[in-house]
Amino acid sequence: MSQYKIFFTGPVGAGKTTAIHSICDVPPKIPHRKSSTTVAMDYGIMNLTGGEKLHLYRTPGPEHSDFMSDLLTTGGIGLILLIDNTGTDPFQDMKFFLNSFDKFIANTSVAIGVTRMDQSKKPTIHDYNMQLHEFYPKPPVFTVDPKVKNDVSLLVQALLYSLDPGLED
Amino acid sequence: MDENNSPLKVALHGMDERSCKVMGIYLQGPCKGIAVVVNDDADIDIFNVDTVNAGKLLDEHLAKQPHKPIIVLSFQDRKHEKVLHVRKPITINDMVASLEKARSLLGKSQKTPIHTFPSPDKSISDNKQLSDSDKKTETTDPSRPIKQTLKPFVTDAGEQKKTSRHRPQIELIDKSFDAFIGNVPGIDVNDPKQFSIATYNPKDYFQSHVESAYKVCQAKGKIRQLNSGWSPLLIFPHSREVWLDADDNKLRAFAGLALNSLDIKISISPPDPGSSSLTRGLEKFHDMDAFLWKLACWASKGRYPDFLDIKRPVYLKSWPNFTRLLITPHALRISALLIQGPRTLPNVAEVLNIKPQYVFVFISAACALNLAGQARREVDELFQPPEIQPNKSQGLMSRIISQLGTTKA
Repeated sequence: MSQYKIFFTGPVGAGKTTAIHSICDVPPKIPHRKSSTTVAMDYGIMNLTGGEKLHLYRTPGPEHSDFMSDLLTTGGIGLILLIDNTGTDPFQDMKFFLNSFDKFIANTSVAIGVTRMDQSKKPTIHDYNMQLHEFYPKPPVFTVDPKVKNDVSLLVQALLYSLDPGLED
Repeated sequence: MDENNSPLKVALHGMDERSCKVMGIYLQGPCKGIAVVVNDDADIDIFNVDTVNAGKLLDEHLAKQPHKPIIVLSFQDRKHEKVLHVRKPITINDMVASLEKARSLLGKSQKTPIHTFPSPDKSISDNKQLSDSDKKTETTDPSRPIKQTLKPFVTDAGEQKKTSRHRPQIELIDKSFDAFIGNVPGIDVNDPKQFSIATYNPKDYFQSHVESAYKVCQAKGKIRQLNSGWSPLLIFPHSREVWLDADDNKLRAFAGLALNSLDIKISISPPDPGSSSLTRGLEKFHDMDAFLWKLACWASKGRYPDFLDIKRPVYLKSWPNFTRLLITPHALRISALLIQGPRTLPNVAEVLNIKPQYVFVFISAACALNLAGQARREVDELFQPPEIQPNKSQGLMSRIISQLGTTKA
């Protein structure tokens, strides 16, 4: 049976693990930890009707991501990028990850969740969209609380509809 | 604005998050913007000493910054030569008097400020229905010395240091649409033969007045109150929020009224000093975008704005921030399609195989947030919109969406 994957990436502390926990049926394994961040890639599982499984992978921090490319080539449906709005330079973070995954995004799609907006209201979602003016088609950018299932669910749904607006449930 | 009129910057100590929020609003509202709450570079420190360790914190603070004015809030009288005391429960007069005294200690009261209330806002830009009813200029009253030094509502970027409840209110499914959004008797908005009359003019509705008032507040950088013969709406431009003492049912009813036909006088004014009920209703704050989005949905009732030509394509600039907005039926699918390029509204409905009313209400709300508009470039009408290609994993993705939520996007 094929293995289907959605990847969750973003800077350290953006809420990748929490977001996966919010929507999966089988949570990610406890990761190897170093300085409180994920250094290995592991996944949560969403059980689908018909017995299929969707794997929700979180990527390690960018300094550990050099081995990602091979894993991404098969079965990847799309990318969820989470950006911490309290970060030093959230736009730089966004550009870094979009560049790092550019080939994968070109073949699939990306949806961007901005986390911790309750702690830092700026940049705004409009500001993020302005930064993406050269991106076609523009990806969805939503305010996301990784702890809230509905937020994460909507972001993943937007990712899937980006791939196929004709999709019906 | 000179120094005497500029709001003092105060830091709060010994207060929990909610108390800080309420104090921020109290200083802005009932205390007329005499001070704003900041985290850094405060002129004055305000200590709530009725908490554990607050006395110790105060002593440490006094030792570190002996010359900085400090206001202490407590239930008991406190005699301390280095601090100003405001006894709880706090009154506006006591608070304002202490802050003015602190200002004088800062050397900011070299001149006696002569206060008048801010001149009324003129009628709102292009909307003649808004009249400036607030032309009253409050005269100084010797019997009310504190009011003479009251400041107009002014905020800084920090504004209230509060967070309104920004949750997605509802995700509408097809069945609940009519009940929630409403409809217009006598028009079948889904009948292509009636598309030409399935329009509404946003300027006739509360939506447009809020939009215009918000622009005025933004331009002036001041909190204002929109009066409409109904519950007053307070607009906070810096935090992009509004405050309204009404639930969604009442708001929906009012938002759906064509106000131009009701001879309702609408005006903006400085906030009513009596709006201290603000302190009792933090949950009544709304994010401006979420508020406008809802108003547009309820004004639309499944129609589209009359400034759009149904036969010409519309564009979508960017995805709406759906996690914080009312999600109308198929809104995610409509966004995903329109973000790929301009299309006519009927074409969107046809391609997605959905009722036109869902497209109309979506585009009404998106236009209200300036996210969508009529495509006017030649190239937008030059080519037939491309057919959407079913994704090879369509079945799988449908199952994922089905698993993700019980609601239809």
